[in-house]
Amino acid sequence: MDALQAEVRALEAEIAALRRACEEPRTAGEDHGRAPKSLREMYQSDSEGWASSKDLRSHLGNLESELLFLSTLTGISIRNYSMKTEVLTNTEKTEKSITKVLQRHRLSGNCQMITFQLEFQILEIQDKESLSSVITDLNIIMEPTKYSELREFVSRAEERRDLLMFFRSLHFFVEWCEYRKRTFEHFKEKYPEAVHLPEGAASSCMVVRSACRPGFELVIVWRVQIDEEGKVLPKLDLLPKAPQQALELDRNRVLETAPRSFRALLGVLGIEAALESLIKSLCTADSS
Amino acid sequence: MEWANDGKSKGGVLAHLERLEIQVNRSRKNSEDLQRAQAVEGALRTKIHKLRCLRDELRAEAKQRQARIKASAANVEPDQTLEISEQEVAERRRENVKAILRAYRFTGLSGKLTSRGFCVCISTAFEGNLLDSYFVDLVIQKPLRIHHHSIPVFIPLEEISAKYLQTNIQHFLFCLCEYLNAYAGRKYQADRLQSDFAAFLAGPLRRNSLCNLLSFTYKVELQGQSVPFCARLRYKDLTTTLPTDVTVTYQGTDALSPSWEEQRASHENLFFSKPLHQVFTSFARKGEKLDMSLVS
Repeated sequence: MDALQAEVRALEAEIAALRRACEEPRTAGEDHGRAPKSLREMYQSDSEGWASSKDLRSHLGNLESELLFLSTLTGISIRNYSMKTEVLTNTEKTEKSITKVLQRHRLSGNCQMITFQLEFQILEIQDKESLSSVITDLNIIMEPTKYSELREFVSRAEERRDLLMFFRSLHFFVEWCEYRKRTFEHFKEKYPEAVHLPEGAASSCMVVRSACRPGFELVIVWRVQIDEEGKVLPKLDLLPKAPQQALELDRNRVLETAPRSFRALLGVLGIEAALESLIKSLCTADSS
Repeated sequence: MEWANDGKSKGGVLAHLERLEIQVNRSRKNSEDLQRAQAVEGALRTKIHKLRCLRDELRAEAKQRQARIKASAANVEPDQTLEISEQEVAERRRENVKAILRAYRFTGLSGKLTSRGFCVCISTAFEGNLLDSYFVDLVIQKPLRIHHHSIPVFIPLEEISAKYLQTNIQHFLFCLCEYLNAYAGRKYQADRLQSDFAAFLAGPLRRNSLCNLLSFTYKVELQGQSVPFCARLRYKDLTTTLPTDVTVTYQGTDALSPSWEEQRASHENLFFSKPLHQVFTSFARKGEKLDMSLVS
């Protein structure tokens, strides 16, 4: 008897959920290709009750400016989004009034120079006391793939199904890359003869050469790394190059200890001032 | 069935007749009960049958709906030739924009324009579990200011606004997002420890509101004995969900054997590297075996 009553409850719950799913407001992409008649029906059932197309246009304008504001504020621009809902059938007869809904989301857009395409699933479980939402699957495709630091980060985010951390770290990563690019460009402008950007300003490498001291080179490698927890940190390294003779004369092993000293310098002066002092030290003989 | 078995029959035939009557009454009652039960069961079965039919209908309708969506997504034109009017285009675009605005919550930051400015909604999550949201209502003026908010008092909002609000609002929001998500993650771990692993705790879990100071006593089964340990976790970096300081001390009265000392040290490592509830999941799974592969 209990089993039968449980089955009745389970069926009633499923029916209620199916009814809700069928009455859901249509999301993007659903009304493509519908006959005009049903579109008018949709208009009539719209709670905002559009009196004219002018109202629609002005509301659309408001929404578009809200979207523009949000994408400027966050630095993340979402261009496309769609969602499908599926009510999961309840095979366990002992479940009392628990409804499970699986949502499939598709999202694409860009954050500055990086474009992303995401597909993820959210499982919503509603029981008598509470509603819980869990991301049960996450797939991320990112372009450009040249940022090798991102590949590991992306697979970690997918593994942990941590959608929010993905966007947060993406934002900070892009912020650091932009700062790096601006800094390189600034130094190139200030010291055009000494500073070289062999891979461009958007790369991770800046070379400092002095016209008066040919053969000497300071290569600064500035990587933007994302750690296990999604924290974004800059990592700078100095690779000094010198002619063989200079190395032999270097009794104080200045060149050998340069990388470590550079890191200490970074800690004291910060990135910009440390780079500036490096450039100046190599080019003291140059007249600007 | 009880038979009066006292050896003295109550006057032969009468007693026999009485007994027969009791038997008949009992069996009649049983069959009445049975009939009633069968009737109820029958009604339930009919109801189930009707509900199943209704459910199958709704399932088919839901499937049809999905198929329509799929078809329209694949750009399958219906039989009637349609003129896409400007209004339809605008309507479609409107629904699209509304959906995109709703989808921003998955980035952690979403919001709405207000008469004063903008109200930002910050969402939090941990390990795929979507948790609480918080809002910050901004007034767009010079200087930019916060009208009101739902950020908990122990999050350093004033500090973060002083640093970034006027100069780099994007950084301000993402920084706040970092703090709130880290707090939500620490809180989630502490809550899970209290609810799912209460059996391991020997006392209450002591925690502060920021959930960055945790202290608890727990016991694990080692070589057939229940060994008590005390753990103190400190999360100095408020933007992380893993502790920066961990101390595990042995709480027992017996001398600490070398193997238990090994355990104690491995526990410290575990607390540093894994979320709290995952550490206890591994305790539950390990049982008595020492699994050094987890410590690497």
